[in-house]
Amino acid sequence: MASNVAVLENDRKQYIVVKIGSEQYGIDISYVDNIVRMQKITRVPKAQNYFTGIINLRGEVVPVMSIRTKMGLEPDQFTDASRIIILKVEQQGSLGIIIDEVKEVVTLGEDEIDKVASAKDEKSNFINGIGKHGEELISLFDINAIIDEKENS
Amino acid sequence: MDVSQYLEIFIDETNEHLQNLSDCIMSLEKDPENMDTINEIFRAAHSLKGMAGTMGFKRMQHLTHDMENVFQEVRSGNMKVTSGLVDVLFQCLDAIDAYLENVKESSDEGTEDNEAIIQELNDILAAETGSAPEEKAAPAEEKKEEPAAQNGYEKKYQNAELSEKEKDAIKSAEERGANVYGITVYIQEECLLKAARAFLVFKAVEDYGDILVYYPSSQDIEDEKFENDFSFFLETEAPLEKIIEVSKTVSEIAEVVGEKVTYNDLIAAAEKKETAEAAQTTPAPAEKAAPAPTQQKAKAAPAKKQNGGKPVTNRTVRVDIEKLDALMNQVSELIIAKNALVSISSTEGSSLQSQTFHEQIEYLERITTNLHESVMKVRMVPIESVVNKFPRMIRDLSKKLNKEMELVMTGEDTELDRTVVDQIGDPLQHLLRNSADHGLENADVRAKRGKPEKGTICLNAFQEGNNVIIEVSDDGNGIDTERVKAKAVERGLVTPEQAEALSQKEIIDFLFMPSFSMTKQITDISGRGVGLDVVKSNIEALGGDVEVKSVLGEGTKFIVRLPLTLAIIQALMVEVHDEKYAIALGSIQTIEDIPVGEIKYVQAKEVIHIRGFVIPLIRLEKILDMEPSEEEKESLTVVIVKKGEKFAGLVVDNLMGQQEIVIKSIGKYINNNKIISGATILGDGEVALILDANALM
Repeated sequence: MASNVAVLENDRKQYIVVKIGSEQYGIDISYVDNIVRMQKITRVPKAQNYFTGIINLRGEVVPVMSIRTKMGLEPDQFTDASRIIILKVEQQGSLGIIIDEVKEVVTLGEDEIDKVASAKDEKSNFINGIGKHGEELISLFDINAIIDEKENS
Repeated sequence: MDVSQYLEIFIDETNEHLQNLSDCIMSLEKDPENMDTINEIFRAAHSLKGMAGTMGFKRMQHLTHDMENVFQEVRSGNMKVTSGLVDVLFQCLDAIDAYLENVKESSDEGTEDNEAIIQELNDILAAETGSAPEEKAAPAEEKKEEPAAQNGYEKKYQNAELSEKEKDAIKSAEERGANVYGITVYIQEECLLKAARAFLVFKAVEDYGDILVYYPSSQDIEDEKFENDFSFFLETEAPLEKIIEVSKTVSEIAEVVGEKVTYNDLIAAAEKKETAEAAQTTPAPAEKAAPAPTQQKAKAAPAKKQNGGKPVTNRTVRVDIEKLDALMNQVSELIIAKNALVSISSTEGSSLQSQTFHEQIEYLERITTNLHESVMKVRMVPIESVVNKFPRMIRDLSKKLNKEMELVMTGEDTELDRTVVDQIGDPLQHLLRNSADHGLENADVRAKRGKPEKGTICLNAFQEGNNVIIEVSDDGNGIDTERVKAKAVERGLVTPEQAEALSQKEIIDFLFMPSFSMTKQITDISGRGVGLDVVKSNIEALGGDVEVKSVLGEGTKFIVRLPLTLAIIQALMVEVHDEKYAIALGSIQTIEDIPVGEIKYVQAKEVIHIRGFVIPLIRLEKILDMEPSEEEKESLTVVIVKKGEKFAGLVVDNLMGQQEIVIKSIGKYINNNKIISGATILGDGEVALILDANALM
């Protein structure tokens, strides 16, 4: 029985669907620690341009990244729907990314995901698959690529 | 019961004795006639021997025994302390240290016999005293003692009061056809860990059979609730001699007596004892005889107790550093919560209760500050534990390099956070080696320059504001900047034209670059080029920095600056435009109001001239990538910060006041820009950045 569950989990993953601009993106829920409302972000001078700054998350200082700047899109416009998604990564600690809107949580099986192999433009560097959910297409973030590429841009 | 529970005590005490020995031998070398030092050494060596023996580390015991013999001769005046002897003694210490390392890692002393060292010790002993090595004499002496002693050891197991159950056990063993022996073991009087001894004996004999009865009870033996002897009844197939022999292999056992007993004998003996007790016959004279042969040893014992008993165990508690870290974190949280209350109290000051509310807040503030200080103090340790191994190291280097040198240390009692102290040893060691090897000139060069033949290396530690400064200086050659420059050009780091324009500081900075070594030949002391760069990165990792001052021909001084505390500091909060920044109070010298008209220009840079100092101005808005403000104010608020002997004036828009802040890391994601040393959370939950004034200069 236990092994069945494991197989099920391997095959089907849950994603948080968010909106950035007009596109929908999926973030593997196992990386997500928290979703918080927009709050005051303290700018850090001399930091990489895609780091908007740092926030206070329940007494911890967490850096916040503008995924838009990182992907080469136009700068963030903060609205009531804007959220910061806190990603938990084992070694490097927490990291927040700013997104325009949180839509829903979907479960995608492997058959519903098309792998993206070659990177054609800057944006697809951070995508490792396209999920199909009904009529919608969801670009799935490669979390490690978002975190790792410190030197880029 | 297990010896391992004593292991920690053993390791700690051995370390202490080793350090003590090392210190004493150092001072003995300078003052070979000092009887106090010699006595001290003798005591320390003796304690070491005793402890090693107790724990069953025979090789270590053997080595320390021979050391003790040498000191015995020195003490009785048959031998002079020579440089050669000191060398050998230090080798002994190293060997003991190596044993200790093995013990730490594997609870075993290892297999190195260090015969060469022991041989050397005995050779010296033979040469100096003109007699045969005392080693041979010693066992003979012991043997002489033994027969005399034998009479004093009574078979105390006969006194054991056996319960019915125990009697049954003996009876049934007998019925099985096994031998039952009654054995009494006497432990030497100066033995420190009697329970551990007893345990070793039990362990040894249990290879041959089962122990039926313990007297006193096994619990009492474990708790050391017995004098210098204990008894047991053993059921075994092996002959009695064998059992006595294995028991005696355990060190610090004075004597083992025993015989085969039978159930009937025991019953008879028990009855006889009752009558004997009434008449007070046999045991009394025997007991009187017992202490006599050991009296000499008894004299040594109290002396050792003063020495070995110094660490008062019941007044200190060992705490895992992680637990302290957890405590520290909680104090940090408390301070943040307190800061939040402070900011509420200052904004909602209109209500009636605000007076009392305010007082309570202030009270809370005092408590948290004191609490923080106490926790910090718990984490503080003197740097002594790190630096006290250096005199020895310099002495070795002096021999190795064939240069005469002396280490002068001050401020060993300066305290630093535990985590900093743990990591400062290697960098300091490196700087000292560097001074000894590269800094100090050879004797003939020194003579030519009119310097004393003996080079001096100083290690000074002291507190300065929120920092601890450790200076390593020598009166040697100093850094030859021309040679460094030439080397940098040779390595292709700069063009010859660029090199000409470099300041002295920039040239010295080359020395801190990876794999930049100045020595022509590589020695095993320094000069592999993995050195100063590692020193620098280690110290920077601790939040400190290194500065170098050097005058060619006169000497070099390395100044290591380390933060006193790592987590919570007093800071001045300032505003630059609408952003808030914290500046550590420790680095702030004064705060000045400077009229714009008083700004002068030197080399197109803004400076101010204040009380005889010319201080460069740093416009924070520029450094922090902000839009320059449109209106030019009539006067500027300038925070004067100090780093060593340098000053700089930071131009800020607003002063917000002093606050206790908790330093938080800004994480690894954001590229480490040095001007920000961390972040802190303000009372209103906002995050403010901490400016590193040192990095701004």
